[in-house]
Amino acid sequence: MSAEAVSTRAVRQGLSGQTLFGLLVLVGATLLGLYFRARLPGIALIWVFGLAFGFVLQRGRFCFASAFRDLFLLGEGRVMKGILAGLFVATLGFALVMYTYSPSIVPGRVPQGAPVFPLGPATLIAGIIFGIGMVIAGGCIGGNLYRMGEGYVASWVAVIGMMVGFSLIGLTWNWWWRVAMETMPRVWLPHTLGWVGGVAVTLGAIAIVFLLVIWWESRSGLGSRPPPALPPGRTLGDRLAAMGEGLFRRPLPVITAGVTLGLLNVFLYLFSRPWGVAGEVWRWSDWFAGKLSIQYPELLGMDAVEGCHVGSSVTQGFFTWGLLVNGGIVVGSLVGALMAGEFKVRVPKQRRRFAQSLGGGVLLGYGAGLGLGCTLGAFFSAVPALALNGWVFAGGLALGALAGIQVVRRL
Amino acid sequence: MKVDVRGEICPYPMMKAVEAMKKARGDEAIEVLTDHPPALETIPPQAHRLGWEVAVHQNGAEWRLVLTKKK
Repeated sequence: MSAEAVSTRAVRQGLSGQTLFGLLVLVGATLLGLYFRARLPGIALIWVFGLAFGFVLQRGRFCFASAFRDLFLLGEGRVMKGILAGLFVATLGFALVMYTYSPSIVPGRVPQGAPVFPLGPATLIAGIIFGIGMVIAGGCIGGNLYRMGEGYVASWVAVIGMMVGFSLIGLTWNWWWRVAMETMPRVWLPHTLGWVGGVAVTLGAIAIVFLLVIWWESRSGLGSRPPPALPPGRTLGDRLAAMGEGLFRRPLPVITAGVTLGLLNVFLYLFSRPWGVAGEVWRWSDWFAGKLSIQYPELLGMDAVEGCHVGSSVTQGFFTWGLLVNGGIVVGSLVGALMAGEFKVRVPKQRRRFAQSLGGGVLLGYGAGLGLGCTLGAFFSAVPALALNGWVFAGGLALGALAGIQVVRRL
Repeated sequence: MKVDVRGEICPYPMMKAVEAMKKARGDEAIEVLTDHPPALETIPPQAHRLGWEVAVHQNGAEWRLVLTKKK
């Protein structure tokens, strides 16, 4: 059967059981949103962002771990090109948002919410640890969150591992801070290059990496394959069905997904602060540690850094900024998976895969703690914020992915 | 040859499919069973690179990829 025949059949099938269930979940999520609007007006909108992130990640099969891993494992840059497209639009948007927040460039200060971290060996090491973890666990923190919504049981295990990793960084953070962070510079490009220079250099660097990825792909013999077109529609019904097919049942083209995520990130920054998911998982870890009476030392320097850490969530009782983002990702992905008929409770057949997810998760938690963010907070939100640490963290991710591949090949 | 990678996530479905293509003798077709949607993005490009055709059949949240050697 050709791809065209498959898709035509899917259009004619109409609403399957999963699709209907997906609509029900969406109605439930909307009602919950109305509840948030009544009770938590300050952060209710964040729920909508979370849902949108989850939906787009799921529909785009957008996996940051695969973006780095597949460059080396397959010579393929499909998702990396999507990420770069997202970074490109987010750079333009973030510049406008940051300029709105503080138009004048003050030495030693950065606009509110911009993830500009102490840049030093810890930045690279955090990226490497996180990169190894995401390849071993088969996904980064955000990736595992949306996989939870798709029914992957191993991703729930990975999140438990992350919480262990965040506990471990909590116990060792102060050593890292004193040795490798406290005195390190925070490099925000506009400080030296001005607004235009900072944006131009960032956009130029993104374009160069994009070209390198294409060169890398063609070197490894991968051509581009346009997806088969949908059958041409004649009637209005045909056309609407084809539109629905494209949006809800077929995977979203990866560039479209990347640009949409980049734009969502710009609007999220405009409403509150840039996208990040690690700080909230750190908070969960902290909550469990409290229940288990594990005592942490007071974490040094936390009030001086932005980014994703245990104290970064805007708290309004039980519901925090981060819970709405992370919960939204899980539920948005569940909606996307159900609409596409792709939801399934997936249990690994081999027991060692659970250990793999748990161990990978520990590295993800530790790396994201040390890096003050994950692939999202310390990379996807840092590069557009014109922070040099975003690039260094990404370099660490690439090195870590390279090392992680050697590990997964043997597991 | 059947390659049942249901329950496996990236990169294993792709790695096992590539392994099978490299091991295949003669005109033998390979059937890959997966429930991991990203495998639908990773396996076809590798198959094309190794000179194989791919047909994808969906059955709910599971997919059967039939790989045949290009003539």
